[in-house]
Amino acid sequence: MRDNVKGGALTEVTFFILLALYEKMHGYGIMQFVEEKTGGRLILGAGSLYGALNNLQEKGWISPVDDGKGRKKEYIITELGREVAKAELLRMKELVITAEQIIGGDLE
Amino acid sequence: MKKYYRFFGGFLKAQEKWLNQMAEKGYRLDRTGKLSYEFTKCKPGEYQYCIDFVAGQSDQKVKDYKAFLEELGYQVFYKNINLNLSVGKVRWRPYGKGTGQIAVNPGNYNKELLIVEKKNDGRCFELHTTNEDRVLYYKALRNARLTVAVLFLIFSIISFIQAQSFSKGVIGFGLLAILLLIPAFLYQTQMLYFSKKSSIEEE
Repeated sequence: MRDNVKGGALTEVTFFILLALYEKMHGYGIMQFVEEKTGGRLILGAGSLYGALNNLQEKGWISPVDDGKGRKKEYIITELGREVAKAELLRMKELVITAEQIIGGDLE
Repeated sequence: MKKYYRFFGGFLKAQEKWLNQMAEKGYRLDRTGKLSYEFTKCKPGEYQYCIDFVAGQSDQKVKDYKAFLEELGYQVFYKNINLNLSVGKVRWRPYGKGTGQIAVNPGNYNKELLIVEKKNDGRCFELHTTNEDRVLYYKALRNARLTVAVLFLIFSIISFIQAQSFSKGVIGFGLLAILLLIPAFLYQTQMLYFSKKSSIEEE
């Protein structure tokens, strides 16, 4: 994963996973969230999701929720993860401003 | 219950296609053996299959991945990529990651592939969908083939040094090396394609 904390852009999948995990969710929920929010444009394969979840855990952006029972693993965003997501939102806003200045805000 | 004997070796796409064709005919995978596939009846087209290559990862990691897939509601089967009937075997996989370099039987040996079954929801079934992840997937496949190709090449060179001529051994190992370089090259092409793509777009 190319994402890094030092201002680098997150991949779309990473950002969506972080957004999904503002509420605790298991893998299936994340897949549904991504599909729903993109109107089916982005469909996340299980292997790619698994890899992404492991990477984000290693970075400490998300963590598994221990429910004490059942194996169904749920995840939740961490404080660090929230900071990264906020930084990404800010970056995107700036990008939108630049793009609108050049392309124009009127998208006909 | 219907039992079929097939061996696909490293031809993962062919195996995937065959399983999907069986599913379209109304046969659902029930068990896998070294050479055999047992099916039970289902509605035609009720299930979809996808194959993942997991050799080179540790036994623990594969189990964890399998559990993750099962939590998503998929059914997962182990499958061997090669034919090897011995038990009590330890193999070194130079292309593996960390403890994934060691394959043991019983253990992760003969479990190089995962056959993943999903209830057909009318959409195409893929496990690896992001370009970055596809790069890693094809890299693992390439490395597995390349490792063996290089080993055969070394055998061929050693035989040449010993025999000082193009003996059967030299030619045999040499041919095997070339044969294995073909899939390695094809996987390399795929890997580069997605690697290039990932620097421009994500999906």
